[in-house]
Amino acid sequence: MLHSDIKSRPTYTQLEPDLSGSQHLLIVEGDTVLPGRLDSLAGTFAPVEENLHTWLVGTQAGGLGLGKVWRLPGVADVVDAFACATRGYGIGDRLYVQGTEPFLWSVAKAAAIIGFSAEQIHLHHAGSLRRRVWCTHCHTVTEDVTTSIASCSGCHRHLLVRDHFSRRLGAFMGVMVDAEAPGEVPAVEESFA
Amino acid sequence: MIGETLTLKVAAASAISPSLRHLRLVAADGSKLPPAAAGAHVQLVLKGAARTHRNAYSLISRAGARDAYEIIVRRVPSSRGGSAFIHEQLKVGDVLEAGWPGNLFAPVRTARRHLMIAGGIGITPFLSYLADFALGGADYALHLCCREDEQHVFDPWLAGKSGVSVHWDADGRRLDIPALLAAQPVGSHLYVCGPAAMNDEVLELAAAAGWPASHVHCEHFGSALSGGEAFRAFLAKSGVEVSVGEDESLLEAIERIGVKAPCLCRGGACGVCATPLLDGEADHRDHYLSAAEREAGRLILPCVSRARSGRLVLDL
Repeated sequence: MLHSDIKSRPTYTQLEPDLSGSQHLLIVEGDTVLPGRLDSLAGTFAPVEENLHTWLVGTQAGGLGLGKVWRLPGVADVVDAFACATRGYGIGDRLYVQGTEPFLWSVAKAAAIIGFSAEQIHLHHAGSLRRRVWCTHCHTVTEDVTTSIASCSGCHRHLLVRDHFSRRLGAFMGVMVDAEAPGEVPAVEESFA
Repeated sequence: MIGETLTLKVAAASAISPSLRHLRLVAADGSKLPPAAAGAHVQLVLKGAARTHRNAYSLISRAGARDAYEIIVRRVPSSRGGSAFIHEQLKVGDVLEAGWPGNLFAPVRTARRHLMIAGGIGITPFLSYLADFALGGADYALHLCCREDEQHVFDPWLAGKSGVSVHWDADGRRLDIPALLAAQPVGSHLYVCGPAAMNDEVLELAAAAGWPASHVHCEHFGSALSGGEAFRAFLAKSGVEVSVGEDESLLEAIERIGVKAPCLCRGGACGVCATPLLDGEADHRDHYLSAAEREAGRLILPCVSRARSGRLVLDL
Protein backbone atom coordinates (compact mmCIF):
# COMPACT_ATOMS: atom_id res chain seq x y z
CA MET A 1 0.00 0.00 0.00
CA LEU A 2 2.89 2.32 0.82
CA HIS A 3 4.94 1.55 -2.22
CA SER A 4 2.46 2.69 -4.79
CA ASP A 5 2.90 3.51 -8.46
CA ILE A 6 2.37 7.18 -7.75
CA LYS A 7 4.75 9.22 -9.89
CA SER A 8 4.22 12.63 -8.31
CA ARG A 9 7.22 12.37 -6.05
CA PRO A 10 10.04 14.50 -7.43
CA THR A 11 13.39 12.98 -8.23
CA TYR A 12 16.47 14.78 -6.95
CA THR A 13 19.95 15.06 -8.35
CA GLN A 14 23.46 15.75 -7.12
CA LEU A 15 24.23 19.45 -6.98
CA GLU A 16 26.55 20.92 -9.53
CA PRO A 17 26.87 24.49 -10.74
CA ASP A 18 24.96 25.45 -13.86
CA LEU A 19 27.66 27.41 -15.68
CA SER A 20 25.11 29.38 -17.71
CA GLY A 21 23.94 31.07 -14.47
CA SER A 22 25.11 34.56 -13.52
CA GLN A 23 24.84 34.57 -9.71
CA HIS A 24 24.70 31.33 -7.72
CA LEU A 25 23.01 30.85 -4.35
CA LEU A 26 23.65 27.62 -2.45
CA ILE A 27 21.41 26.95 0.56
CA VAL A 28 22.35 24.04 2.79
CA GLU A 29 20.42 22.61 5.71
CA GLY A 30 23.37 22.33 8.11
CA ASP A 31 22.54 19.04 9.81
CA THR A 32 22.27 17.22 6.48
CA VAL A 33 25.92 17.79 5.72
CA LEU A 34 28.01 14.68 6.34
CA PRO A 35 31.58 15.13 7.59
CA GLY A 36 33.79 16.23 4.71
CA ARG A 37 30.81 16.77 2.40
CA LEU A 38 30.95 20.57 2.65
CA ASP A 39 34.54 20.50 1.43
CA SER A 40 33.50 18.32 -1.46
CA LEU A 41 30.66 20.75 -2.28
CA ALA A 42 33.22 23.56 -2.16
CA GLY A 43 35.23 21.68 -4.76
CA THR A 44 32.18 21.14 -6.95
CA PHE A 45 31.25 24.82 -6.83
CA ALA A 46 34.80 26.14 -7.21
CA PRO A 47 34.22 27.10 -10.88
CA VAL A 48 31.57 29.66 -9.84
CA GLU A 49 33.02 30.69 -6.47
CA GLU A 50 33.40 34.32 -7.59
CA ASN A 51 29.64 34.60 -7.99
CA LEU A 52 28.63 32.22 -5.21
CA HIS A 53 26.69 32.94 -2.04
CA THR A 54 26.22 30.17 0.52
CA TRP A 55 23.57 30.19 3.20
CA LEU A 56 24.23 27.65 5.98
CA VAL A 57 21.03 26.99 7.88
CA GLY A 58 20.65 25.58 11.39
CA THR A 59 23.24 23.38 13.08
CA GLN A 60 26.66 24.47 11.97
CA ALA A 61 28.69 22.11 9.91
CA GLY A 62 32.46 22.20 9.76
CA GLY A 63 34.38 23.47 6.76
CA LEU A 64 34.13 26.79 4.95
CA GLY A 65 35.17 28.46 1.76
CA LEU A 66 32.03 28.44 -0.40
CA GLY A 67 32.06 31.98 -1.69
CA LYS A 68 30.39 34.49 0.62
CA VAL A 69 28.89 32.63 3.56
CA TRP A 70 25.87 33.67 5.55
CA ARG A 71 24.55 31.74 8.55
CA LEU A 72 20.85 31.54 9.31
CA PRO A 73 19.18 29.93 12.37
CA GLY A 74 16.37 28.08 10.59
CA VAL A 75 14.32 27.56 7.46
CA ALA A 76 11.85 30.26 8.55
CA ASP A 77 14.71 32.74 8.29
CA VAL A 78 15.41 31.62 4.73
CA VAL A 79 11.77 32.13 3.83
CA ASP A 80 11.85 35.58 5.47
CA ALA A 81 15.09 36.48 3.70
CA PHE A 82 13.44 35.76 0.35
CA ALA A 83 10.19 37.49 1.25
CA CYS A 84 11.98 40.67 2.40
CA ALA A 85 14.68 40.51 -0.25
CA THR A 86 16.17 43.95 -0.60
CA ARG A 87 18.75 42.61 -3.01
CA GLY A 88 17.14 41.83 -6.34
CA TYR A 89 17.57 38.40 -7.80
CA GLY A 90 18.25 38.18 -11.53
CA ILE A 91 16.59 36.11 -14.23
CA GLY A 92 19.98 34.47 -14.87
CA ASP A 93 20.54 33.49 -11.21
CA ARG A 94 20.61 29.89 -10.03
CA LEU A 95 19.49 28.45 -6.70
CA TYR A 96 20.84 25.18 -5.31
CA VAL A 97 19.31 23.65 -2.20
CA GLN A 98 20.43 20.69 -0.13
CA GLY A 99 18.40 19.24 2.72
CA THR A 100 15.43 17.17 3.79
CA GLU A 101 12.32 17.27 1.62
CA PRO A 102 10.37 19.68 3.85
CA PHE A 103 13.40 22.02 3.83
CA LEU A 104 13.89 21.76 0.04
CA TRP A 105 10.30 22.61 -0.71
CA SER A 106 9.99 25.39 1.87
CA VAL A 107 12.94 27.09 0.22
CA ALA A 108 11.79 26.31 -3.35
CA LYS A 109 8.34 27.70 -2.63
CA ALA A 110 9.70 30.91 -1.07
CA ALA A 111 11.94 31.38 -4.11
CA ALA A 112 9.07 30.70 -6.52
CA ILE A 113 6.97 33.35 -4.78
CA ILE A 114 9.52 36.03 -5.66
CA GLY A 115 9.71 34.81 -9.26
CA PHE A 116 12.30 32.02 -9.55
CA SER A 117 11.31 29.53 -12.24
CA ALA A 118 11.67 25.79 -11.78
CA GLU A 119 14.53 25.79 -14.31
CA GLN A 120 16.53 28.08 -12.02
CA ILE A 121 16.18 25.84 -8.96
CA HIS A 122 18.21 22.66 -8.36
CA LEU A 123 17.28 20.45 -5.41
CA HIS A 124 19.35 17.75 -3.73
CA HIS A 125 17.76 15.57 -1.08
CA ALA A 126 20.04 14.74 1.85
CA GLY A 127 19.60 13.66 5.45
CA SER A 128 16.43 12.28 6.97
CA LEU A 129 13.53 10.94 4.89
CA ARG A 130 11.07 12.61 7.29
CA ARG A 131 7.97 13.94 5.61
CA ARG A 132 5.64 16.85 5.85
CA VAL A 133 2.10 15.44 5.69
CA TRP A 134 -1.02 17.26 4.56
CA CYS A 135 -4.29 15.95 5.99
CA THR A 136 -6.90 15.58 3.25
CA HIS A 137 -9.67 15.88 5.87
CA CYS A 138 -8.80 19.01 7.89
CA HIS A 139 -5.98 20.40 5.65
CA THR A 140 -3.59 20.70 8.59
CA VAL A 141 0.10 20.13 7.91
CA THR A 142 1.93 17.78 10.26
CA GLU A 143 5.71 18.14 10.28
CA ASP A 144 8.50 15.63 10.92
CA VAL A 145 6.57 12.47 10.19
CA THR A 146 8.78 9.37 10.11
CA THR A 147 6.12 6.66 10.38
CA SER A 148 3.89 4.99 7.77
CA ILE A 149 0.82 6.00 9.79
CA ALA A 150 0.79 9.25 11.76
CA SER A 151 -1.63 11.12 13.95
CA CYS A 152 -2.80 14.39 12.35
CA SER A 153 -1.74 17.35 14.46
CA GLY A 154 -5.02 19.05 13.58
CA CYS A 155 -7.85 16.50 13.77
CA HIS A 156 -5.93 13.57 15.36
CA ARG A 157 -7.17 11.11 12.75
CA HIS A 158 -4.80 8.24 11.98
CA LEU A 159 -3.38 9.16 8.58
CA LEU A 160 -1.85 6.76 6.09
CA VAL A 161 1.10 8.64 4.58
CA ARG A 162 0.88 8.16 0.83
CA ASP A 163 3.60 8.74 -1.79
CA HIS A 164 1.33 11.31 -3.42
CA PHE A 165 3.36 14.54 -3.29
CA SER A 166 2.32 18.17 -3.74
CA ARG A 167 5.03 20.58 -4.88
CA ARG A 168 2.82 23.50 -3.96
CA LEU A 169 2.55 22.35 -0.35
CA GLY A 170 5.88 20.51 -0.25
CA ALA A 171 3.92 17.76 1.49
CA PHE A 172 2.72 14.20 1.12
CA MET A 173 -0.97 13.37 1.25
CA GLY A 174 -2.31 11.77 4.41
CA VAL A 175 -5.65 9.96 4.34
CA MET A 176 -7.60 8.46 7.25
CA VAL A 177 -6.49 4.83 7.50
CA ASP A 178 -9.42 3.49 9.55
CA ALA A 179 -12.28 5.33 7.88
CA GLU A 180 -14.15 2.15 6.96
CA ALA A 181 -13.36 0.19 10.13
CA PRO A 182 -12.93 2.73 12.94
CA GLY A 183 -10.22 1.76 15.37
CA GLU A 184 -8.64 -0.84 13.07
CA VAL A 185 -5.24 0.75 12.60
CA PRO A 186 -2.57 -1.39 10.90
CA ALA A 187 0.84 -1.74 12.50
CA VAL A 188 2.79 1.50 12.40
CA GLU A 189 6.21 1.25 10.77
CA GLU A 190 9.14 3.60 11.06
CA SER A 191 9.43 4.16 7.30
CA PHE A 192 10.93 7.63 6.90
CA ALA A 193 13.66 7.85 9.52
CA MET B 1 -20.62 35.68 -38.38
CA ILE B 2 -20.05 32.02 -37.63
CA GLY B 3 -18.29 29.90 -40.21
CA GLU B 4 -14.98 28.32 -41.09
CA THR B 5 -13.70 31.61 -42.41
CA LEU B 6 -14.44 35.28 -41.82
CA THR B 7 -15.42 37.76 -44.51
CA LEU B 8 -13.77 41.11 -43.85
CA LYS B 9 -14.13 44.47 -45.52
CA VAL B 10 -11.43 47.14 -45.70
CA ALA B 11 -12.92 50.04 -43.72
CA ALA B 12 -9.85 52.28 -43.84
CA ALA B 13 -6.36 52.17 -45.29
CA SER B 14 -3.54 54.65 -44.87
CA ALA B 15 0.17 54.88 -45.56
CA ILE B 16 1.98 55.52 -42.27
CA SER B 17 5.35 55.50 -44.07
CA PRO B 18 6.48 54.88 -47.67
CA SER B 19 6.64 51.13 -46.99
CA LEU B 20 4.04 50.65 -44.24
CA ARG B 21 0.29 50.49 -44.77
CA HIS B 22 -2.23 50.45 -41.94
CA LEU B 23 -5.50 48.61 -42.52
CA ARG B 24 -8.69 48.64 -40.52
CA LEU B 25 -10.81 45.58 -41.31
CA VAL B 26 -14.42 45.10 -40.22
CA ALA B 27 -16.91 42.26 -40.69
CA ALA B 28 -18.35 42.58 -44.22
CA ASP B 29 -21.88 41.98 -42.94
CA GLY B 30 -21.56 44.60 -40.23
CA SER B 31 -21.65 42.08 -37.37
CA LYS B 32 -19.15 41.74 -34.53
CA LEU B 33 -15.82 39.99 -35.07
CA PRO B 34 -14.54 37.14 -32.90
CA PRO B 35 -12.40 38.64 -30.11
CA ALA B 36 -8.66 37.96 -30.04
CA ALA B 37 -6.15 38.23 -27.19
CA ALA B 38 -2.91 40.22 -27.18
CA GLY B 39 -0.33 38.73 -29.56
CA ALA B 40 -2.91 37.18 -31.92
CA HIS B 41 -2.65 37.13 -35.71
CA VAL B 42 -5.11 36.76 -38.55
CA GLN B 43 -4.55 34.98 -41.85
CA LEU B 44 -5.70 36.91 -44.90
CA VAL B 45 -6.48 35.37 -48.30
CA LEU B 46 -5.05 37.80 -50.85
CA LYS B 47 -6.21 37.11 -54.40
CA GLY B 48 -3.48 38.62 -56.56
CA ALA B 49 -3.50 38.65 -60.34
CA ALA B 50 -1.12 35.72 -60.73
CA ARG B 51 -2.04 33.67 -57.68
CA THR B 52 -3.56 33.59 -54.23
CA HIS B 53 -1.48 34.42 -51.17
CA ARG B 54 -2.33 33.53 -47.58
CA ASN B 55 -0.37 35.70 -45.21
CA ALA B 56 -0.61 35.98 -41.43
CA TYR B 57 -0.48 39.43 -39.84
CA SER B 58 -0.36 40.38 -36.15
CA LEU B 59 -3.38 42.24 -34.87
CA ILE B 60 -2.46 45.59 -33.37
CA SER B 61 -5.99 46.33 -32.20
CA ARG B 62 -6.84 46.31 -28.53
CA ALA B 63 -7.19 42.78 -27.13
CA GLY B 64 -10.83 41.73 -27.16
CA ALA B 65 -11.87 44.38 -29.69
CA ARG B 66 -14.83 43.17 -31.78
CA ASP B 67 -15.50 46.20 -33.98
CA ALA B 68 -12.39 45.92 -36.17
CA TYR B 69 -9.08 44.15 -36.72
CA GLU B 70 -6.17 46.49 -37.38
CA ILE B 71 -2.92 45.44 -39.01
CA ILE B 72 0.21 47.15 -40.34
CA VAL B 73 1.80 45.64 -43.43
CA ARG B 74 5.39 46.27 -44.55
CA ARG B 75 5.96 46.28 -48.28
CA VAL B 76 8.79 43.78 -48.72
CA PRO B 77 10.98 44.33 -51.82
CA SER B 78 11.47 40.58 -52.18
CA SER B 79 7.77 40.00 -51.56
CA ARG B 80 6.24 37.03 -53.28
CA GLY B 81 3.21 39.20 -53.88
CA GLY B 82 1.23 39.32 -50.63
CA SER B 83 2.50 42.61 -49.29
CA ALA B 84 2.69 44.11 -52.80
CA PHE B 85 -0.98 43.21 -53.29
CA ILE B 86 -1.95 44.94 -50.04
CA HIS B 87 0.07 48.04 -50.92
CA GLU B 88 -0.86 48.38 -54.59
CA GLN B 89 -4.25 46.83 -55.15
CA LEU B 90 -6.27 46.69 -51.98
CA LYS B 91 -8.79 49.57 -51.69
CA VAL B 92 -11.25 50.74 -49.07
CA GLY B 93 -14.46 48.74 -49.53
CA ASP B 94 -12.70 45.60 -50.85
CA VAL B 95 -13.75 42.32 -49.30
CA LEU B 96 -11.25 39.69 -48.11
CA GLU B 97 -11.56 36.18 -46.84
CA ALA B 98 -9.72 35.56 -43.56
CA GLY B 99 -9.16 32.77 -41.08
CA TRP B 100 -10.20 33.05 -37.45
CA PRO B 101 -7.62 34.76 -35.30
CA GLY B 102 -4.94 32.47 -33.88
CA ASN B 103 -2.46 33.21 -31.13
CA LEU B 104 1.01 31.72 -30.88
CA PHE B 105 2.57 34.65 -29.07
CA ALA B 106 0.42 35.52 -26.08
CA PRO B 107 2.04 37.27 -23.11
CA VAL B 108 2.64 35.02 -20.09
CA ARG B 109 0.19 36.04 -17.39
CA THR B 110 2.35 34.88 -14.48
CA ALA B 111 5.31 37.06 -15.57
CA ARG B 112 6.59 39.58 -12.99
CA ARG B 113 7.92 41.72 -15.80
CA HIS B 114 7.54 41.68 -19.57
CA LEU B 115 10.62 42.61 -21.62
CA MET B 116 9.85 43.10 -25.31
CA ILE B 117 12.45 43.55 -28.05
CA ALA B 118 11.10 44.47 -31.47
CA GLY B 119 12.91 44.80 -34.79
CA GLY B 120 11.11 47.23 -37.12
CA ILE B 121 7.69 45.94 -38.15
CA GLY B 122 8.19 43.21 -35.52
CA ILE B 123 6.67 45.74 -33.14
CA THR B 124 3.15 44.84 -34.31
CA PRO B 125 2.35 42.08 -31.79
CA PHE B 126 3.67 44.33 -29.01
CA LEU B 127 1.26 47.13 -29.89
CA SER B 128 -1.56 44.86 -28.71
CA TYR B 129 0.51 43.85 -25.67
CA LEU B 130 0.91 47.51 -24.66
CA ALA B 131 -2.83 48.15 -24.80
CA ASP B 132 -3.31 45.05 -22.64
CA PHE B 133 -0.59 45.90 -20.10
CA ALA B 134 -1.88 49.44 -19.72
CA LEU B 135 -5.16 47.98 -18.45
CA GLY B 136 -3.62 45.35 -16.19
CA GLY B 137 -0.87 47.45 -14.65
CA ALA B 138 1.86 44.95 -15.58
CA ASP B 139 5.53 45.90 -15.29
CA TYR B 140 7.02 46.02 -18.78
CA ALA B 141 9.61 47.56 -21.08
CA LEU B 142 9.53 47.73 -24.86
CA HIS B 143 12.70 48.26 -26.87
CA LEU B 144 12.11 49.04 -30.52
CA CYS B 145 15.09 48.75 -32.85
CA CYS B 146 14.32 50.38 -36.19
CA ARG B 147 15.65 52.58 -38.95
CA GLU B 148 16.26 56.15 -37.81
CA ASP B 149 13.69 57.52 -40.27
CA GLU B 150 11.02 55.23 -38.84
CA GLN B 151 11.46 56.18 -35.20
CA HIS B 152 8.16 58.10 -35.09
CA VAL B 153 6.11 55.87 -37.37
CA PHE B 154 4.49 53.99 -34.51
CA ASP B 155 3.93 57.05 -32.32
CA PRO B 156 0.13 56.93 -32.70
CA TRP B 157 0.15 53.61 -30.83
CA LEU B 158 2.92 54.51 -28.40
CA ALA B 159 1.66 57.93 -27.33
CA GLY B 160 1.29 58.22 -23.58
CA LYS B 161 2.84 54.80 -22.98
CA SER B 162 5.73 54.68 -20.54
CA GLY B 163 8.50 52.11 -20.72
CA VAL B 164 9.09 52.46 -24.46
CA SER B 165 12.61 53.05 -25.82
CA VAL B 166 13.54 53.48 -29.46
CA HIS B 167 16.97 52.51 -30.81
CA TRP B 168 18.66 52.76 -34.18
CA ASP B 169 22.04 52.23 -35.76
CA ALA B 170 24.00 55.29 -34.61
CA ASP B 171 26.48 55.94 -31.83
CA GLY B 172 24.66 56.31 -28.54
CA ARG B 173 21.40 54.99 -29.98
CA ARG B 174 22.15 51.29 -30.36
CA LEU B 175 20.55 48.84 -27.96
CA ASP B 176 23.08 47.10 -25.71
CA ILE B 177 21.28 43.76 -25.70
CA PRO B 178 23.69 41.83 -23.41
CA ALA B 179 23.52 44.59 -20.76
CA LEU B 180 19.74 44.73 -21.03
CA LEU B 181 19.33 40.96 -20.69
CA ALA B 182 21.73 40.79 -17.73
CA ALA B 183 19.82 43.43 -15.76
CA GLN B 184 16.41 41.74 -15.58
CA PRO B 185 14.92 40.48 -12.30
CA VAL B 186 13.70 36.95 -11.56
CA GLY B 187 10.24 36.33 -12.93
CA SER B 188 10.89 38.30 -16.13
CA HIS B 189 9.72 37.00 -19.50
CA LEU B 190 11.43 38.00 -22.75
CA TYR B 191 9.59 38.36 -26.06
CA VAL B 192 11.40 39.04 -29.30
CA CYS B 193 9.95 39.69 -32.74
CA GLY B 194 12.05 40.94 -35.61
CA PRO B 195 14.13 39.86 -38.59
CA ALA B 196 15.58 36.34 -38.32
CA ALA B 197 19.14 37.51 -37.65
CA MET B 198 18.03 39.73 -34.77
CA ASN B 199 15.79 37.02 -33.29
CA ASP B 200 18.63 34.51 -33.42
CA GLU B 201 21.05 36.94 -31.81
CA VAL B 202 18.68 37.79 -28.94
CA LEU B 203 17.86 34.11 -28.31
CA GLU B 204 21.55 33.24 -28.24
CA LEU B 205 22.39 36.11 -25.88
CA ALA B 206 19.51 35.21 -23.56
CA ALA B 207 20.73 31.63 -23.29
CA ALA B 208 24.25 32.88 -22.59
CA ALA B 209 22.92 35.21 -19.87
CA GLY B 210 21.28 32.27 -18.12
CA TRP B 211 17.67 32.97 -19.03
CA PRO B 212 15.55 29.86 -18.47
CA ALA B 213 14.26 28.64 -21.87
CA SER B 214 10.64 28.75 -20.66
CA HIS B 215 10.98 32.51 -20.11
CA VAL B 216 12.08 33.30 -23.68
CA HIS B 217 9.52 33.69 -26.49
CA CYS B 218 10.05 34.50 -30.14
CA GLU B 219 7.86 35.16 -33.14
CA HIS B 220 9.41 34.87 -36.58
CA PHE B 221 8.26 36.41 -39.82
CA GLY B 222 7.57 33.46 -42.08
CA SER B 223 6.91 34.76 -45.55
CA ALA B 224 10.43 35.34 -46.82
CA LEU B 225 11.46 31.82 -45.84
CA SER B 226 9.31 29.72 -48.12
CA GLY B 227 10.76 30.21 -51.62
CA GLY B 228 13.57 28.23 -53.24
CA GLU B 229 14.26 25.81 -56.04
CA ALA B 230 11.26 24.21 -57.72
CA PHE B 231 10.57 20.58 -56.85
CA ARG B 232 7.84 17.94 -57.06
CA ALA B 233 5.76 16.41 -54.29
CA PHE B 234 3.52 13.35 -54.44
CA LEU B 235 0.52 13.34 -52.10
CA ALA B 236 0.07 9.65 -51.33
CA LYS B 237 -3.46 9.70 -49.87
CA SER B 238 -4.83 11.97 -52.56
CA GLY B 239 -2.90 10.17 -55.30
CA VAL B 240 -1.78 13.36 -57.04
CA GLU B 241 1.56 14.86 -57.84
CA VAL B 242 2.13 18.60 -57.61
CA SER B 243 5.00 20.72 -58.83
CA VAL B 244 6.06 23.43 -56.41
CA GLY B 245 7.28 26.62 -58.05
CA GLU B 246 10.28 28.69 -57.00
CA ASP B 247 8.23 31.42 -55.38
CA GLU B 248 5.48 29.39 -53.78
CA SER B 249 5.53 27.23 -50.70
CA LEU B 250 4.73 23.53 -50.63
CA LEU B 251 1.57 24.36 -48.68
CA GLU B 252 0.48 26.91 -51.28
CA ALA B 253 1.05 24.37 -54.06
CA ILE B 254 -1.03 21.80 -52.18
CA GLU B 255 -3.83 24.33 -51.71
CA ARG B 256 -3.61 25.37 -55.37
CA ILE B 257 -4.57 21.89 -56.56
CA GLY B 258 -7.46 21.79 -54.10
CA VAL B 259 -6.14 19.36 -51.46
CA LYS B 260 -7.14 20.38 -47.94
CA ALA B 261 -4.24 20.78 -45.55
CA PRO B 262 -4.51 22.12 -42.00
CA CYS B 263 -2.51 25.23 -41.18
CA LEU B 264 -2.49 28.15 -38.78
CA CYS B 265 0.54 30.44 -38.72
CA ARG B 266 2.00 29.70 -42.17
CA GLY B 267 5.38 30.64 -40.80
CA GLY B 268 6.77 27.37 -39.45
CA ALA B 269 6.00 28.21 -35.83
CA CYS B 270 2.81 26.47 -34.76
CA GLY B 271 3.20 22.92 -36.08
CA VAL B 272 -0.44 22.65 -37.14
CA CYS B 273 0.53 21.73 -40.72
CA ALA B 274 3.10 19.07 -39.69
CA THR B 275 2.63 16.23 -42.20
CA PRO B 276 4.14 12.72 -42.26
CA LEU B 277 6.93 12.53 -44.82
CA LEU B 278 6.97 9.08 -46.43
CA ASP B 279 9.90 9.54 -48.77
CA GLY B 280 12.41 12.16 -49.85
CA GLU B 281 14.74 14.51 -48.01
CA ALA B 282 13.32 17.71 -46.54
CA ASP B 283 14.99 21.11 -46.29
CA HIS B 284 13.58 22.01 -42.87
CA ARG B 285 13.05 25.75 -42.40
CA ASP B 286 10.58 25.73 -39.50
CA HIS B 287 11.04 26.69 -35.85
CA TYR B 288 8.86 23.85 -34.59
CA LEU B 289 10.49 20.46 -35.11
CA SER B 290 13.19 19.42 -32.66
CA ALA B 291 16.67 18.53 -33.86
CA ALA B 292 15.80 14.86 -33.25
CA GLU B 293 12.61 15.14 -35.31
CA ARG B 294 14.50 16.74 -38.17
CA GLU B 295 17.09 14.02 -37.99
CA ALA B 296 14.40 11.32 -38.07
CA GLY B 297 13.02 12.89 -41.26
CA ARG B 298 9.47 11.60 -40.72
CA LEU B 299 7.70 14.97 -40.57
CA ILE B 300 7.66 18.13 -42.64
CA LEU B 301 6.04 21.56 -42.19
CA PRO B 302 4.87 22.36 -45.75
CA CYS B 303 4.21 26.03 -44.96
CA VAL B 304 7.95 26.82 -45.04
CA SER B 305 9.96 23.65 -45.68
CA ARG B 306 10.92 22.32 -49.08
CA ALA B 307 12.73 19.40 -50.74
CA ARG B 308 16.48 19.23 -50.30
CA SER B 309 16.68 17.22 -53.49
CA GLY B 310 14.35 15.49 -55.91
CA ARG B 311 10.85 14.56 -54.90
CA LEU B 312 8.96 14.37 -51.62
CA VAL B 313 6.18 11.89 -50.81
CA LEU B 314 3.69 13.20 -48.26
CA ASP B 315 1.00 11.29 -46.38
CA LEU B 316 -1.69 13.70 -47.43
